[in-house]
Amino acid sequence: MAKVKVYSTPSCPYCVTLKEYLKDNNIAFEGVDVSQDKVQLDDMIKKSGQMGVPVVDIDGEIIIGFDKIKIANLLNIKD
Amino acid sequence: MKYDLIIIGGGPAGISAGIYIARLGVNALLITKEFGGQIGKKAVDIENYPGFSKISGPDLIKKMEEHLKSNKIDIEMNEVLRVEKRDENFVVLTKTKKEFEATSIIFASGADPRPLEVPGEKEYIGKGVSYCALCDGPIFANKTVAVIGGGNAGFETAIFLSKIVKKIYILEFGSEIKAFESNQKLVNQTGKAEIITNVKLKEIHGKDFVEYVTYEDKETKEEKSVEVQGVFVEVGYMPATSYAKGLVNFNERDEIKVKPETCETSTPGIFAAGDMNEGVFKQVVTAAGEGAKTALAAHNYIQRLKSK
Repeated sequence: MAKVKVYSTPSCPYCVTLKEYLKDNNIAFEGVDVSQDKVQLDDMIKKSGQMGVPVVDIDGEIIIGFDKIKIANLLNIKD
Repeated sequence: MKYDLIIIGGGPAGISAGIYIARLGVNALLITKEFGGQIGKKAVDIENYPGFSKISGPDLIKKMEEHLKSNKIDIEMNEVLRVEKRDENFVVLTKTKKEFEATSIIFASGADPRPLEVPGEKEYIGKGVSYCALCDGPIFANKTVAVIGGGNAGFETAIFLSKIVKKIYILEFGSEIKAFESNQKLVNQTGKAEIITNVKLKEIHGKDFVEYVTYEDKETKEEKSVEVQGVFVEVGYMPATSYAKGLVNFNERDEIKVKPETCETSTPGIFAAGDMNEGVFKQVVTAAGEGAKTALAAHNYIQRLKSK
């Protein structure tokens, strides 16, 4: 099973939508609140080159924003 | 699958239309890429929606979404690329290449943030440039940021950011601030904001991330710069109407022309509610009201066709 990590902030609506999408499709993931965790935030910025959320790490593949098509492809989610 | 009605949009207008149409027993589909749109990203609480003296945008939209989903209506989470007229019907094409057909359509996909259109803006999206302070604000803890736009949205964004960042520059193009007195007072109270007027933004600069912005002081014509790690854009919205091009008539502001009584567009069978149409007041409650109007008008339209 793919290792999925979601970097987000609590106030970000896209992050909520993204996490709900993963839950609806029974994808287990680790959620990280970067507003509370400086180490994880720096890690996210380094990996993605982004100062924006959400960022998803699927087995080392970095997806910026809620890119449903890319995420569905990587996780084999059928629409 | 053929529907009687397709609603495009998941903000207050689309959701309200969905609730009305489902209760009328119409076979309908609502397509949206997300629930909430602008109010899902609103930096300060909503205090003028009846029934809620104070509620956050995301919380209000969550309640609306739950209300919608308690009714019988199909929902497709997808982005609409194009709407076409095919014979007597309309066909909606999505980003994932799905097609949906309907007798009647309600456009209710609201408006998108208006870009600055200066060099560096596109390059630094997600690298310091943000259109959603609520989303990305928390990443800028103890940093210095600029809010572009000195209207109410800009001031509300500054109020939200003041709890997170070290310093905020509010850069306004005009010679005076148009934000409400109450918002100006709240911004002053933060002690973190510096307001600069007469700013013609020139460029956003940096290496991997934003480092500073340059602007012309419109009064003195001098070129100046401020060091910032974040740029939050709040210069208004533009109607999200690209998929409707060629199908209905627009005004000069790219808003869809409608009959005020029913929100009918120039094309029979197509209705437009909320920020997409030429209505002057862009409020959550007016969007919801227009959603109801379009649903009732679309219902009449569908009934008329069926009785022919």
